[in-house]
Amino acid sequence: MLAEGALAAGCRFFAGYPITPASEIYEVMMRELPAHGGLALSAPDEISSLCYCVGASLRGLKAMTATSGPGWALMIETAQYALMTETPVVVALVQRLGPSTGGATQGAQGDIGLAEFATSGGYTLPVFSPSNATESFELAVHAFNWSERLRTLVLLLSDKEVGMTSEVVDEEALQIPRLVNRKMATAKADYAPYAAQEPESVPAFAEVGGEIKATVTGSAHDAQGRLRKNSPQVIDVLQRLQRKIEAHAEEMALVRPDLDTDARCLLISYGVTARAARQAVSKLRTDGRRISFLQIQSLFPVPRKWLDGAAAGVEVVFVAEENLTGQYRAALTPYLSGKQIHGINRIGSQISPGEIARAVEGVMA
Amino acid sequence: MTPQALYLSPTAKLPYCRGCGHSLVVRQLSRALEHLGLPPRSVVLTTDIGCVGLADSLFPYLHTVHTTHGRSTAFATGMALADAILEPQGLKPIVMIGDGGAMIGLLHLVHAAQLNVDVTVLVHNNFMFGMTGGQHSALSPLNWVTATTPDGNWTPPLDLLSLLRTAHATFLARQLATSQELAGTIARAIDFPGFSVVEIVELCTAYGTRWNQVSGASLQEIILRQGYTLGAVETERERPTFRELYRHEMESPRPKRAKPGVPRLNAPAKLADEIRLVVAGTAGERVQSAAALLCRAALAAGLYSTQKNDNPVTQGSGFSLSEICLSPKPIEYTGMENPDVVLVVSEDGWKELQANGTVALCREETLLLLDAQIDAIPPTGRVVRLPLRRQANPKRAALSAIGAWLEKNPLLPAEAWEAVLALEPAERRAESAAALDIGRRLAGEGVASS
Repeated sequence: MLAEGALAAGCRFFAGYPITPASEIYEVMMRELPAHGGLALSAPDEISSLCYCVGASLRGLKAMTATSGPGWALMIETAQYALMTETPVVVALVQRLGPSTGGATQGAQGDIGLAEFATSGGYTLPVFSPSNATESFELAVHAFNWSERLRTLVLLLSDKEVGMTSEVVDEEALQIPRLVNRKMATAKADYAPYAAQEPESVPAFAEVGGEIKATVTGSAHDAQGRLRKNSPQVIDVLQRLQRKIEAHAEEMALVRPDLDTDARCLLISYGVTARAARQAVSKLRTDGRRISFLQIQSLFPVPRKWLDGAAAGVEVVFVAEENLTGQYRAALTPYLSGKQIHGINRIGSQISPGEIARAVEGVMA
Repeated sequence: MTPQALYLSPTAKLPYCRGCGHSLVVRQLSRALEHLGLPPRSVVLTTDIGCVGLADSLFPYLHTVHTTHGRSTAFATGMALADAILEPQGLKPIVMIGDGGAMIGLLHLVHAAQLNVDVTVLVHNNFMFGMTGGQHSALSPLNWVTATTPDGNWTPPLDLLSLLRTAHATFLARQLATSQELAGTIARAIDFPGFSVVEIVELCTAYGTRWNQVSGASLQEIILRQGYTLGAVETERERPTFRELYRHEMESPRPKRAKPGVPRLNAPAKLADEIRLVVAGTAGERVQSAAALLCRAALAAGLYSTQKNDNPVTQGSGFSLSEICLSPKPIEYTGMENPDVVLVVSEDGWKELQANGTVALCREETLLLLDAQIDAIPPTGRVVRLPLRRQANPKRAALSAIGAWLEKNPLLPAEAWEAVLALEPAERRAESAAALDIGRRLAGEGVASS
């Protein structure tokens, strides 16, 4: 469904390399893209996969690749290039158990840090995380829309359990957002490839091969794309790369809240674990526990307003995720000051609703 | 504007060291473009990291893409691939890369040659890394002194063109940067449809001439001593380009792949609450496809379903299992906290369920339907043993087990099975129907319960 969502979003180029549990996306794109007037292709490695996608996007096509943790590790150099050159591209990262080769057929939510904190300079990469097939479709469209609108790499952070579980999808009920395309440069005179009207806005795009000269560089550059050292203009461009994301953080926020205004505790989860969490909340409420629940789909930028709203009035916050150290919990902690924060973590298998409910009761009872 | 002014800016101050071969290449490239008269906006100059990467700012009217180390060919390939499916097309990517970049990005050169994309690569081979301080590269000649081989290089240099020849590169040439023929060779490479590579041999005057006794003449000797030829151009015109292959592929009739749509029937399932079951057996015995058939039948009868498969990484040996949830409502958690039904059709399947903890999760009321050949005694649950493997084809035993379970728990209407069996490939349909029937019959006979 993630691949179907990409096609619906207007993806016309895909380059892939086999890796469990992301290979199905690759296979669907190889099968379906030609019928959509696009091109899907086998790359010789993950580095080439993302380079081909970035090249295709520079030529004007919406492009995506799909991989898992080991492949993403190889792509990070090119991901930073996409960020620096403001090239729209989407990477579907279907997580599996790590570190290293890890467990190819075991799920995990262990790549939050590797995904989000992959850049020198610590720039915010938008990350969307679906919990089921329907969300995989819808968030794929959102991912393309934001990558086009903000001219950035966007990550779709899925995992083996979401990506490889077959489930029923009501196609008629799919919420397909209106498609967004990158703003193209029109003025031929004095076009500056990295100049934006506001310190947080996005420059118009000149495609390679078009009438307007494209100047693309991954080196520190000024608004004209010139390599400059010790230039305040270069610093302006570097700051804008982050500010354009931050300025749209609230608009990018996607959550599924289920709040109780009298709750003393809040459970937060995402991806596959959000499904167990929702079931746990239902059971806890049946047993009389007042609890709020927030499923976060847009992991980064952190949806601050939703987080503040959901946490208002509660004393205790639980974050359930399938990793060892609470990677997303660590990312949320700065925004939850004054709250008692507990992680519900496990690796090697899905966290079950019972496990979450017991953890909540263990603290709250 | 004069044709010259369209390419290398006449006023450009070249940023290279005195005597550096890069200055010669930049000028010869500009002459080649002038000769071809290519519109500047049809060319994209893709530069690599290193001194060679400073070239793009010298060409103010070409599209320029300055990339990461070694990846320039891959980015250019991406642009060429996209161009092949766009209208109007005709983008010409030219890559400028050094010998260091050619090695770290060797895979990209090999694949571009294999694809035969319309990309021209100019490899600036000065035998070493210049910008980073004169380190040895994979193309350094024997005995070449560098910052990292102070006593001389003792690993044989890579013959890049031979390697790319075996990758089916269609245009291969090697020239000295000082050659009068260089502009002509570059022009031929650019004009050539498909992948072309020109290795340009030159000297790094910051480091190469500082540590090695070389001159223009001895440079030629070094090349010849390596058994290389200079000046010759090899071409292979018979190979279709990627653009041609893609067009041919798209114009060929393609088999239509209809989406396998499961019809929604007016025959609802009889299921009030979620039910969770595990089907386990041996890889290659269609365990997962039997589970998929059950999920599709459930869908036809209006249920929600999830199916998670597991097998060893080798795919075709050892166990194979599916975990299934069926529910009248959308399903959240897809795991097996409390399995209601466990169907096991082989020893492999049973061993895995013990290993992965499923057996320990069974409760008193869990139904365990086991093939009669499995000796194990489950610690808990309602156990039923049926001679599935003996009576049915072992390759269909999982579907027989599903048939047996449904015979005693008729939650799906017969129409649902008819509808999904009708979607099966013809050669499988009868076998699947027979397997289900065997299971139903065995369950009806109530063989060997315990």
